[in-house]
Amino acid sequence: MAQDPPARSTVTVSGPRREPMTTILRTPADWPSLLLDADAATSTRRGDPAAALDAAVKRGAFEGLKRCVHELGPTGTIATIAASGLRGRGGAGFPTGEKWRLALRSEAAQRYVVANGYGADPSVATDRTLLETNPFAVIEGIAIAAFSIGATEAFIAVRAEATEAIRQLEGAIAAAEDASYVGPSILGSGRGVTIRVRPVQGAYMLGEETVLLKALEGKRGQPEQRPPHPAERGLWGKPTVVQNVQTLAAVPWILANGPEAFAAVGSSASPGTILVQVRGPGGDGVAEVPLGTPLRDILALAGSETGLKAVLVGGPSGGLLPVDLLDTPYEFDALREAGAHVGSGSIVAADQRACVVDLARLLTRFCADEACGKTIPCRIGTRRISEIGDRIATGLPKPTDLQLLADLSADVVGSALCDHERLATLPYTSGMRYFRGELDEHILRSNCPAGVCRPIAVAAGAVS
Amino acid sequence: MADLITRPDSHEPAELEPLADTVAERLLTTQAPQRPQSTPRIRIEVDGRVVEGFEGQTILEVCRDNGIEIPTLCYEPKLPGFGACRMCVVEVEGEDHPPISCSRQAEPEMVVRTQTDEMRRLRRTNLELIFSDHNAYCLPPCQNKCPSHIDIPGFLKANAEANWRESTRIFKRTIPFPSVLGRVCPAPCEEHCRRDEVDEAIAIRDSHRYAGDQVLKAMLDEAVDPPVPFEVQAKTGRRAAVIGSGPAGMAAAYYLLINGHDVTVFERDPAPGGMLRYGIPQYRLPKVEVLEAEYESVTRLGGKIVCDQGLGRDFTLDDLQNQGFDAVLVAIGCYDTNKLGVPGEDADEVLDGLEYLRTATLGLPYPGHAGKRVVVIGGGFTSMDCSRTSVRQGAAEVTLVYRRDMKDMPAANEVHEAIEEGVQAIFQAGPTRVATDAKGNVTGCEFIRMRPGEPDASGRRRPEPAPGTEFIIPCDRVLLAIGQGPDLSWIGPGSTGVEATKNRRLKADAVTFGTGRPGVFGTGDVRIGAATVVEAIAEGRRAAYAVNAYLQGMDLDEIRTRQQLAEPQPEFLSIVPFTSEVKEPRYRLKAMEPEVRNKSYIEYELPYTPAEAIAESTRCLQCTCEAIGYCDLRRLGIEYGTTLQTLQPQYHQGAGYRSVTENRFTGINHDYIRDDSHAFILREPSRCIDCGRCANVCAEIVGAACYDFMRIGFDTLVTTPLDMSLNDTPCVSCGRCAETCPTGALMPKPRILEKYDVDESRCILCGICVDACPYDALRDGADIELAHTSRADPMIDLLAIAAVDRETEVTYIRRERDWATRAAAEGRLIPDRLLPVLPASISGNGGNGHARGNGDGHAPGHRLGHTGGSEDPAATGHAGHA
Repeated sequence: MAQDPPARSTVTVSGPRREPMTTILRTPADWPSLLLDADAATSTRRGDPAAALDAAVKRGAFEGLKRCVHELGPTGTIATIAASGLRGRGGAGFPTGEKWRLALRSEAAQRYVVANGYGADPSVATDRTLLETNPFAVIEGIAIAAFSIGATEAFIAVRAEATEAIRQLEGAIAAAEDASYVGPSILGSGRGVTIRVRPVQGAYMLGEETVLLKALEGKRGQPEQRPPHPAERGLWGKPTVVQNVQTLAAVPWILANGPEAFAAVGSSASPGTILVQVRGPGGDGVAEVPLGTPLRDILALAGSETGLKAVLVGGPSGGLLPVDLLDTPYEFDALREAGAHVGSGSIVAADQRACVVDLARLLTRFCADEACGKTIPCRIGTRRISEIGDRIATGLPKPTDLQLLADLSADVVGSALCDHERLATLPYTSGMRYFRGELDEHILRSNCPAGVCRPIAVAAGAVS
Repeated sequence: MADLITRPDSHEPAELEPLADTVAERLLTTQAPQRPQSTPRIRIEVDGRVVEGFEGQTILEVCRDNGIEIPTLCYEPKLPGFGACRMCVVEVEGEDHPPISCSRQAEPEMVVRTQTDEMRRLRRTNLELIFSDHNAYCLPPCQNKCPSHIDIPGFLKANAEANWRESTRIFKRTIPFPSVLGRVCPAPCEEHCRRDEVDEAIAIRDSHRYAGDQVLKAMLDEAVDPPVPFEVQAKTGRRAAVIGSGPAGMAAAYYLLINGHDVTVFERDPAPGGMLRYGIPQYRLPKVEVLEAEYESVTRLGGKIVCDQGLGRDFTLDDLQNQGFDAVLVAIGCYDTNKLGVPGEDADEVLDGLEYLRTATLGLPYPGHAGKRVVVIGGGFTSMDCSRTSVRQGAAEVTLVYRRDMKDMPAANEVHEAIEEGVQAIFQAGPTRVATDAKGNVTGCEFIRMRPGEPDASGRRRPEPAPGTEFIIPCDRVLLAIGQGPDLSWIGPGSTGVEATKNRRLKADAVTFGTGRPGVFGTGDVRIGAATVVEAIAEGRRAAYAVNAYLQGMDLDEIRTRQQLAEPQPEFLSIVPFTSEVKEPRYRLKAMEPEVRNKSYIEYELPYTPAEAIAESTRCLQCTCEAIGYCDLRRLGIEYGTTLQTLQPQYHQGAGYRSVTENRFTGINHDYIRDDSHAFILREPSRCIDCGRCANVCAEIVGAACYDFMRIGFDTLVTTPLDMSLNDTPCVSCGRCAETCPTGALMPKPRILEKYDVDESRCILCGICVDACPYDALRDGADIELAHTSRADPMIDLLAIAAVDRETEVTYIRRERDWATRAAAEGRLIPDRLLPVLPASISGNGGNGHARGNGDGHAPGHRLGHTGGSEDPAATGHAGHA
């Protein structure tokens, strides 16, 4: 797919040899850049941590932390974050300020901050790229969060195979501790936070916050019923703020530049920028985009949109959106409305060679196989959805299968425990919503318009 | 520590002043949330009812406390809600996603609805999903298909162990006459045997026939009483009259006798047996050796049989009730043969098939039958008996005519034997006219070809005549065997209060068997129309339990539910691929050659040898679930209608689903191997629904953590690590996993050992048995103290007691810390025999006191370490001085 020369110039950052190369797509100049600093990336990746810290401080790092400690104090910080309208980048878009307030309100002797840099979707490198290129923003965000809610311990969960990110982080934490930005006493305030990097290796489900907490406790990764939210009862039963690393990286910027400046970026309901992994005919890479940017513009970063058939937004459990919805703004509520979600931050363009049934079947099967197996609707329900898809793709559907698919999806969503099973229905529900004709063609005529599925030629209902 | 050293020596501590920095002090003084005076109560609305609960309770707990049932599968009352089964979803007003009630705290003014259509649909979908991967079964199909639900795997297992008596006893729990049924039953069970998937169905009927025959033989030859299935109850003094000594009546009498009632059976004919004696020929059921011997099991229990007494002929219902019978059970059967309704039917030579058989079964040749050309009309067992008896009585030509096809015959599995014996069979032809000559003699019978028409209520296609296809079969005699109805002419003066239905049956309730007249019950063919022997016996048995309930003064409407619960509800089946079984075809009963048997009335089937009977029973796959009756999944499946009977009956053109794994979500499912390696716990992972209860209980309550969720995705299974045997895990054999399992996936293994012997001379009173026993069978008693209370670490006791009543405890312990001083003052302290009440690490640092020398015994707590550690007389002296 990516054989054509890229439509726009890109900055290629080369890591150590064994690391896969991540491409950071260059975005239009008028798009603000809060998280990634493409120019600084090279020096951060190569350099010695102390030097990198100096460079980062020169560029304005830890200004937000200083403001937090010296000016705003815990409640002021939380109020500022709440005023900025920052929402969690993990996919669900929960307001960050509210989460911190909840954790602060919960009575406990010990609180935790967990930075989720796990990046569950194997095809998405956004979190890893952020940790590799801008670890100090994440560390600063953690320090601010810990200072605000009174946590003394923080964990950064990283994929165990992201060795470069782990190396970067550990060096950066040590450097920040030496400079007293984190450690026993943050900037001499008397409040301290110990940050530990926790490489975790597990399945897709680890991206879910309660599952991640279980994994950090050393238990089998299975979600817990919410409420109580982790902010009230999380790691080892203590209030825990679990935030995506992108959310934490945005926090220093807000404190340094003010909540109004942040609220001005992106859309009004979801301000700020977010990292996306765009995969299109012209390229594949991570880009920082303001929330609310139309999908069309994001796709343009990765090549032309001609011949486009569908856009998969949100990773394996994402929704398939048709071409005429390309003007949908990339932000939490609008995407959910359209039948997709931010999810893992992945945006994949599918051209005319792709078959919606085949694609949805692949995605649902992935979700079913990655389920943790705790609940019945997830363990069996998602598998049955993928089996119905198998039937449709192989030309052996029952006449009632579309109805069954819709009914089952509704019931799985209705009695779901966590978002994994709720969202695993999205590929087919969005497929049925926007590509009904293609599904009907499979079921009624045993014909795959894209020529991908190979339905059995003599299937019942086949027309000559 | 610092302030301890710098504390002025002159300072005498106040009575209750805390000791500095000892572990005990820290335990005592650490702030803990004070227990409120009482837990605040809250009110929530559930299904339109306002109910009260405690703050902090979940919705489920509040509902259960108030008797509102919310289904759960994964909820273990001892543990917090887990949320795996999603069965306890409820609707809470104002919330988008329905929460699960086991994890959601009840909040004041909450409005909860538990039984909305939406919630029931979600639960039903969940159950269907579970069943679609539930490669297991409840009842075996044979037991399901048997009208009387005999425990077939049970008696076959006893047979396989050559325990004929036990086998017969198991059989008699549902049917009192194994040898009779072993000869006359059409064996619907065998048609559904799962062994058929391997090679051939088990010969279930022949197997119980053999076992029953052994018991009869022992009874006749060695005067051994036949086994009684249940303990015979003490005499109640109640009297029951049973009218009719056919299979239904005698079965009812048998179970009423076992329940302790006096039973008298009234029989119209000179000898008991009803259709068994007068309808079924000798060659199928020997009367003396089998029928009378089997009926002895009733008379040996004290049942009286009065013959030559017919209802309506010799007595009325009034007479019986006036004679003091507390209950009367009418089981008079069906003896009126239906009419053809065609011209010429009244000719002399058109005979009632039953009349004909009656003569024949008495051992008498029917007048003028030899040499006649006979036409038998009908397709049931009576028509078989008529034609085969006609062959034996020397009829020149026997033609059997049935209006439907051969496969539709009620007696389809016997017809080939009749054909072997020389009967000519014509199918799909119905009579239109009986041709007679001028003298009224039958010359032939005209038939018309039938073709299948529209399906009727029973699902069979109703035959329709094809015009212009009439043909005549020349014959001398026509035997009618086209079904029978009961003779209800006795209803009238003296026997009023009972009524007939529109179909000319006795009107009686299907469960309570009550008729319109109090104390009078109806059962058997007279209630349901002519049916098989096994159906009649099932009727009789169920009626006996209804009459028993009536005689015990129970409310008849109430027993309706009880009866339905007592009867197995065989709604779940599943086909398990028994692919690994060794092929071993069925052992068939040998029969005499047709040319020999068609002249003879002796029983033509040759019984098994003992080895054959054992081998045949050993073939049984024992496909029954041990957890039946305890299984929550089954109970919920019945409640939510995800059973085979309720689920899309129209599926497959009305054939329905075959197995429980077949529903709208059928797909790939798992088939796991049974693990019986552990001595006490049987694991059947195919029945596991992954609720996680065993894993949680084992980890959180027992502390062994033998189980957990293993693998991911659809293949997740709650099992031991690497599926190892429980023997290799830290299992303590406490059985709590089997106790909590909602299905039959974990079961206490059947044990041969029934009672434990405790060797008290070797018991060290460790109390482990008391702690581990999940059923509370062992406990501390007055006579023997199993000393678990003193095993605990004192520190833990301290904590526990401190939590109970903090204020008093602090006072107490602080007061007691100078016990040594006081003991010495009162002369109770003997240094040599001093035992520390608290370990030195808790009650103050002994070494510390020691290091500071002995003059300064100002803190009495230090005395403990001091005195315990040294013989220093100064210390005691000093204490005494203080």
